[in-house]
Parts: sequence; structure tokens; C-alpha cells
Amino acid sequence: MSRVSLAHIKANQKCRIVEINGGLNLRQRLMSMGVYEGKEVVKLSHIGLRGPVVIKSGRSVLALGHGMAAKIIVEA
Amino acid sequence: MIRKIFLVGNPNVGKSVVFSRLTGVHVISSNYPGTTVEIAKGYLLTGGEKIEVVDLPGAYSLEPNSSAEKVMFSLLNELPKSDIAVINILDATNLERNLLLTLQLIEEGFGVIVCLNMCDEAGHKGVSIDIKKLEEQLSVPVIPTCAVTGLGIKPLIERLKEVVPRSRQRLNHEDRWKEIGLIVEKVQRLEHRHHNLREILEDASVRPVTGLLMASGVIYACFKVVRFIGEGIINNITDPVFFNYYRPLLERISVHWQEGGFWFHLLIGDLINSKIDFKQSLGLLTTAPYIEFGMVLPYVVSFYFILSLLEDIGYLPRLAILLDNLLHKLGLHGFAIIPVLLGFGCNVPGILSTRILESKRERFIASTLISIGVPCVPLQAMIFGLLGAFGGFYVAGVYAVLFFLVVIIGVILNHTVAGYSPEFLLEIPPYRYPPMLTLIKKLYFRVKGFIFEAVPVVMIGVLVINILLYFRLFDLVTNISAPVIKGLFGLPKEAIIALLIGFFRKDVAVGMLAPLALTAKQLFIAATLLAVSFPCVATFAVLWKELGFKDLAKAALIMILASIIVGSTLNFLILR
Repeated sequence: MSRVSLAHIKANQKCRIVEINGGLNLRQRLMSMGVYEGKEVVKLSHIGLRGPVVIKSGRSVLALGHGMAAKIIVEA
Repeated sequence: MIRKIFLVGNPNVGKSVVFSRLTGVHVISSNYPGTTVEIAKGYLLTGGEKIEVVDLPGAYSLEPNSSAEKVMFSLLNELPKSDIAVINILDATNLERNLLLTLQLIEEGFGVIVCLNMCDEAGHKGVSIDIKKLEEQLSVPVIPTCAVTGLGIKPLIERLKEVVPRSRQRLNHEDRWKEIGLIVEKVQRLEHRHHNLREILEDASVRPVTGLLMASGVIYACFKVVRFIGEGIINNITDPVFFNYYRPLLERISVHWQEGGFWFHLLIGDLINSKIDFKQSLGLLTTAPYIEFGMVLPYVVSFYFILSLLEDIGYLPRLAILLDNLLHKLGLHGFAIIPVLLGFGCNVPGILSTRILESKRERFIASTLISIGVPCVPLQAMIFGLLGAFGGFYVAGVYAVLFFLVVIIGVILNHTVAGYSPEFLLEIPPYRYPPMLTLIKKLYFRVKGFIFEAVPVVMIGVLVINILLYFRLFDLVTNISAPVIKGLFGLPKEAIIALLIGFFRKDVAVGMLAPLALTAKQLFIAATLLAVSFPCVATFAVLWKELGFKDLAKAALIMILASIIVGSTLNFLILR
């Protein structure tokens, strides 16, 4: 098990969120969309080098900015 | 006693469709989060009573994290809880995420009724939800609906009287998610389905290579289809009507007025080769209706048909992901593509929908870029109509100049405007078959909006222009501005009239250029200037309302500078 950010794992990989390195506002926004510590998500794709990251969390598909994805630490 | 009903739910669950069903008031709905940027109000008539219904912008939770959520929060707390009912609309295909807001609403002590929307789609996707069990778990009424077809709306209204505040233990977020997990496990059954074509397309459109290929294909196809439909309407419907029926009629009427006299000038305008020329005569009964109905309206119809189709299918958020990188360089993020696309129809709804962007900085940049570099359908239709006669190359040139201008100004603004641009966080909806009836309705309302707003302005505008021209009142302005217009932009001095009229209506302004017998280069410069310089007065008013006076002044200054630089650069350097 290695800990990396959501921006760094490969596409089509399943992972579990272990930490969100953001302020309260970001954590709450993600939390209310169903992205929180302990949640399992699948990374669907990554657009370009510093582009947005697309994940599937539960039944929803979410696109996160690159910087935001870099703050989400996952275990893969 | 319920005095007010609020529609609350996550973004893109169909609140606006339910709202239309309850109140009969039409509001625009699409398949992407954030369509509702204004709060819509209407009335529900039930049992002889008239209750106000408020459609709130979508929110994921009751904590006021985004501006939309703040608005919702304050409105919900305006009246005592016993006086209001909350219809909480849920997307049945995504029960888990939607239940967070539901639990929060019940915990807060609101009288809640759950409207489980999109039940038909859930069925297709192999999701089945036990309504009875869900009611037990939540202890509030749950009504399955399919708002697009109207299914379940009647029971929803009937059971509104059962709404009473319940008590439920307050939880923190983590425990709430655990609780939701337990509820979902009890009430929802998933049938495993194989990947179907739609899901394969959904996936492909958010991956870098296939996504870009699809995006280029979609944009190219849309452009072609808009032109095909627009020209089809012009060649087969409007032109035959104007030339075969309307012109002979006008010719018979016009013998009653003396050519060159005041009334003839006002109503018919000038004869070109002793015939009425719809493009050049500039009369109240000739050019004015021809511009609006014969040149612009066909493209308004075709543009909004395609835009509505893209909106309802759910393609636009995917385009937003792909363009995020580019838009980041301009101080925006991918979602800004939605105001931009709406702006191509008309700048007014485009600038209004910049409200989906969170920070003031983003809204300023987006509004400024839209008013400079995004020509509305009426302007585009006229550019196609007049400049297109010289060849498609020139038309493409105008778009290229505007595109580069937007990129350059965007990069500069990104480096100079203070404030922050938050990052992209967007839910991507599934593709949906566009509900044809709502699509046609949406198209109807958009076209109707255009006719009612544009035609009076055009008529009054042409009337005023003709009176001013007849009494030669423009001469002073023309002479004062001649050095700039002639010297800097290489246009005949009369072109200033068209540029000034651009402040009224862009389509009439381009129409004013027609009788000046401009060369391709001059028309190119004038059309570009009309797009870049001041937006029309309606857009101006919205900019003022949305940005405030100070930022409007800044935006206006940028527009003036951009016009002068672009106009003279084109004149002296590029098109020599």
C-alpha cells in the first residue's frame, strides 16, 4: 500500500481516500459531494499534464481541478 | 398552515422541471448543474388555495459553502419553520449522495416531503428503490416521480398536506454518511448491468485523446448543422416569402408615397436600381423586418435548437473538463465554457450565467471576455450574410481575430486582476436522451424571448435612425469622428453611424453598413469592431447589474482600448 495523491495515481485505478490536505471549506465541499476520508473512489482519467482529474465516487462522476486532486491523498 | 413551498435539492436533479410542473411557469432546464442561477417564483393552486413556490438553485448541503448555498440558507430561514414546506427533490439514480441534504433538512426541523425524481431512468439503470422502506427510514413522505413526463406530480401535490416537521438526531458529517450507507443498503437494490454504448461514450468523452476527438467532431458537426438549418430556413421559407409575396405587396403600396419624400424615406427607404432592396433600402417596412425575420431569426432558431440539444444530452460539462487547461490560463476554469456558449446566442443570458462561477474575479474576467470576443447570433448571422458574400475566408478571419483577442486579454487579466480563481469541482451528469417535448418548449421560449425583445428595439431603432438621417442630424458626429474612423480604421466616415447604432442592436448596425459599398477589408474591420467595441445596451445593463459601476467602467475601458488597437492593427498591419 502506497500513499500518493489523486493527481499522481494512474487512470482506471481504484483507491481509498486517507487524507484531504485542505482547509475546512474544501473538506466540507468535497464531503457534501460524497468525497471524504475513508471513501473508495476510482480515478477515471486525467486531462493533460496539469489538467483536471475525473473520478467516480459511488454513482457520481466528479471532475476536480489538478490542484485540488493533488491535495487528496489516497492509498492504492 | 403552509404559506410557502421551497424546492430544494442537489444540482441537476430536475428541480426546475418539477417547478414548471407545479406552477405552470416555464423556466429553462438543462442537463448540467447550475442551470438555475436566478430564483424563480410561481404559484401552486390546490384546494382553492394559492401557495407561493420558490425554485432554489441546487445545493449539496445545508452548510453555506458556495454562494448558491448561502442564498438557499438565508431564504429557508426567513419564515418560521411551521409556515413552510420543503419539497426535497432527489435523483433516484444517485440516492446515496442526495440523501445527505435530505437528512440535514429533516434534522434542522423543516417539514420535508421527498420527491424521488428520475425514477424511470433509475429503472433503466438497474436501480430499484423500495419506497415504503425509504419512508420508514426517513419518517417523511416519499413520492416517486418522473417530472419530465409529469408522472407522480399529482400524488406529490396531494400529499403536501402530510408535511410536518419531524425530529431526528443531529449527526456530524461522518456519522451522517455512515447512516446514509445503512439506509441505502436497506432500501436500494442494484442489478448489475453490462457497459452499454451510452456508458462507453460517457467514458470516452472524459478521456484526453478520445475526448478531444469527440469534442472536435461535436463542435464541427454543430457548426455545420446550425448553418444547414439556418440556410435551409432562409432559402426555403423566409426568402421566398419576402421576395415572392412581401416585395410585390410593398411595391403596390409604395406608389402612394412620393419617392424621396419623408414617408417614403421612413417606410421604404432608398430604392436601389429603382427596386426595393431588402438589405440596403433601410426602411421601416423593408430592411428592418428583413434583418430580423429574414436574416437573424432563422439562425436564432437553429442555434438554440442545437444548443438546447447539447444542454439536454449533457455534453457541455464534458467540454468543460477538456477546456479547463486552456481556460485556466485566462484566469477561469472549465465551467466558464457554459456562459461563453450561452453568450454566442445572446450576451445577456451568457453574462447572467457567469453566476455559476464562484469568485468575483472570475465573473469579471468572464463577463469582459464575453462582451468583447463572443459575438451574439444576430451579429454572427449578419456577418455571415454580408461578409460571407466575399468568401468564407473573411468570416473565419473574424472568428480567428476574436479568438486571439480573447486569449490575449484573458492572459493579461489573469496576471493583473486581483482576487482568486477557485478550482474546478464539478459533477458530470450522465448522458440523457433529450426529452423532445421540453426541448421544443425551451426552444419556443428562447425564440419567443428573442422576438419580443429584439423586434421592438429594431423597429424603434430604424425609425429613429431614419428620422435623424432625413434631417441630416448625423453630419456633425460623422465629421467629428472622421479622423479616427477614416484615418485609423480606414473606413468611410459614415461608418460611425453603424458603430454607434451597434450600441442599440448589432444586427441593425451591420445592416447599416450594407449601403456603404464597403470593400471586403473594410467590412471585415467594421464587423470586428462591432463585435469588440461596446456591447448592445441590453448587455450593458446586465453588466452594470452584475459587476457594479466600477467594474463596468473597467470593462468598458478595456473594450475601447481593444477596439482601437484591433481596428488600427488590422487596418495598417495585417490587411494592407
